[in-house]
Amino acid sequence: MNASVQGALRSYSDAEILGMIDEKAGVYNPKIYTDESLYKLELERIFARTWVCMGHESQIAKPGDFITAYIGEDPVVVSRQKDGSIRVFLNQCRHRGMRICRADSGNAKAFTCTYHGWAYNQGGELVSVPMEQEAFGGCLNKKEWGPKQARVDTYKGLIFANWDAEAPSLDEYLGEAKFYMDIMLDRCEGGTEAVPGIQKWVIPCNWKFAAEQFASDAYHAGTTSHLSGIMAGVPDDVDLSQVAPPTTGLNVHMSNGHGCGLFLRNPMFYMTILGPKVTEYLTAGPAYEEATRRLGKSRTDVHLCHCNIFPNLSFLAGINTVRMWQPRGPNEIEVWTFTVVDKTAPAEIKEEWSRNVSRTFSAGGVFEQDDGENWCDIQQVLKGHVAQQQKFNIEMASHTITTENPEGFPGISFAYTYGEESARGMYRYWTQIMTAPDWPSIREIKPLPVAAE
Amino acid sequence: MAWTKAFPSADLPEGEMKQFAGAAEPILICKLGGKVHAVQDTCTHDTWSLADGFLEDGIVECSLHFAKFCVRTGQVKALPACDALKVFPAKIENDFIYIDC
Repeated sequence: MNASVQGALRSYSDAEILGMIDEKAGVYNPKIYTDESLYKLELERIFARTWVCMGHESQIAKPGDFITAYIGEDPVVVSRQKDGSIRVFLNQCRHRGMRICRADSGNAKAFTCTYHGWAYNQGGELVSVPMEQEAFGGCLNKKEWGPKQARVDTYKGLIFANWDAEAPSLDEYLGEAKFYMDIMLDRCEGGTEAVPGIQKWVIPCNWKFAAEQFASDAYHAGTTSHLSGIMAGVPDDVDLSQVAPPTTGLNVHMSNGHGCGLFLRNPMFYMTILGPKVTEYLTAGPAYEEATRRLGKSRTDVHLCHCNIFPNLSFLAGINTVRMWQPRGPNEIEVWTFTVVDKTAPAEIKEEWSRNVSRTFSAGGVFEQDDGENWCDIQQVLKGHVAQQQKFNIEMASHTITTENPEGFPGISFAYTYGEESARGMYRYWTQIMTAPDWPSIREIKPLPVAAE
Repeated sequence: MAWTKAFPSADLPEGEMKQFAGAAEPILICKLGGKVHAVQDTCTHDTWSLADGFLEDGIVECSLHFAKFCVRTGQVKALPACDALKVFPAKIENDFIYIDC
């Protein structure tokens, strides 16, 4: 057995995991998408140690409001307290382990396990045990039997939770990514609100296909995958030479495994996805001016930023679809998505925004189906023994990478929309956090890419 | 027992319930068809406020273990509770709710 074995049963040594991406050769090992033992290690070393998104504060606006969510495969209750604070606790009764709350969302004074009736208050404290005096003889100390509580923090409306007491603060963990999150979350004084409802569906693919694509992959959008969807959104009277897929932009790798890419100064791309009304709202007039005052012109002229906050929170700033890729084994995910809008946007704009996100990025969205089809097809191919032995190419822009950053944006950028430094950064971080025994050693991980050294 | 002034009738909308804490024990007051009814607020099964539960068709359901009671008579309508609620006379006078407790 390897000396570093801790927790989950290990099939791979640290050296083997670290070797799963070879940046110098520009290849990586697709077993990271299919191997059961690596998946179990991901639950332990990634999902149980990093800040994972729970949803948006507006989804639990009032005291007693709750949603149920997941940290990896661990179900949790996210509950607004009387004092306005938020608690996140494991959705597991301490008696026999049944789910304490079986609803997706609601407002509750208490959560009662439906098996034997142990009941917990809004904060997750055990308040009632049936037949406590008669059956337990008054010997049960209820204070000790509440469900496990997670650390909770928020960033501009998004709620995050973390099981690990040693992990850095959310603010430190998000780091450079906040600069890009603000493009979506901080355009106006009032911040954002979530369009009611979380869409949830199941597709057979590994969570990292989705996370990596949002972190790094603009390539699929402008090459083949989404062209029919783009064509469908182009108004009839538009000259097609004016809707060339954007190539002015960045591919950005950040610390802690986060990544993003963005298109600059190309509002026509918004037009094909969000339609003329929302495009105008985002690119001209008082809302644009307020956003420019808050974010600076270089950021308000970002026309779409695709981003993944490691491990599994993705968003498209501008389009404002937010998604959590809930892992369900190496071969399946639940996709959970909701849309955020500027709180102070006119009702008509919010409606138009929501409608166009549904048209493009929802269970039936024209782009969503392209993405799901690609990820699921790769996963199916990887059932093949020979297919699993092949190495995938991940060398794009590795020969031309530079730490120079023409826009002055944070992170390590490559000044072209199509690049894979952000993907390499994410997978490199994946190998590093998977082999790091604790947060002091995770903190020592250096974000600098091999190619830039 | 004496008539105790609880709160303005306008504070209690039709079909809703409210806890009154100004008596020796918490009392659940609700308004049905313009009439007010008052019963003991603490579930007879466990220590929990029934006013925090759900009221439908004159039946209150405890949110802790789902025992049910008739708010007019105090009678048990669903297990796990076995004992009836105490009932208190209630009336509206000069736009105020009074409870005999």
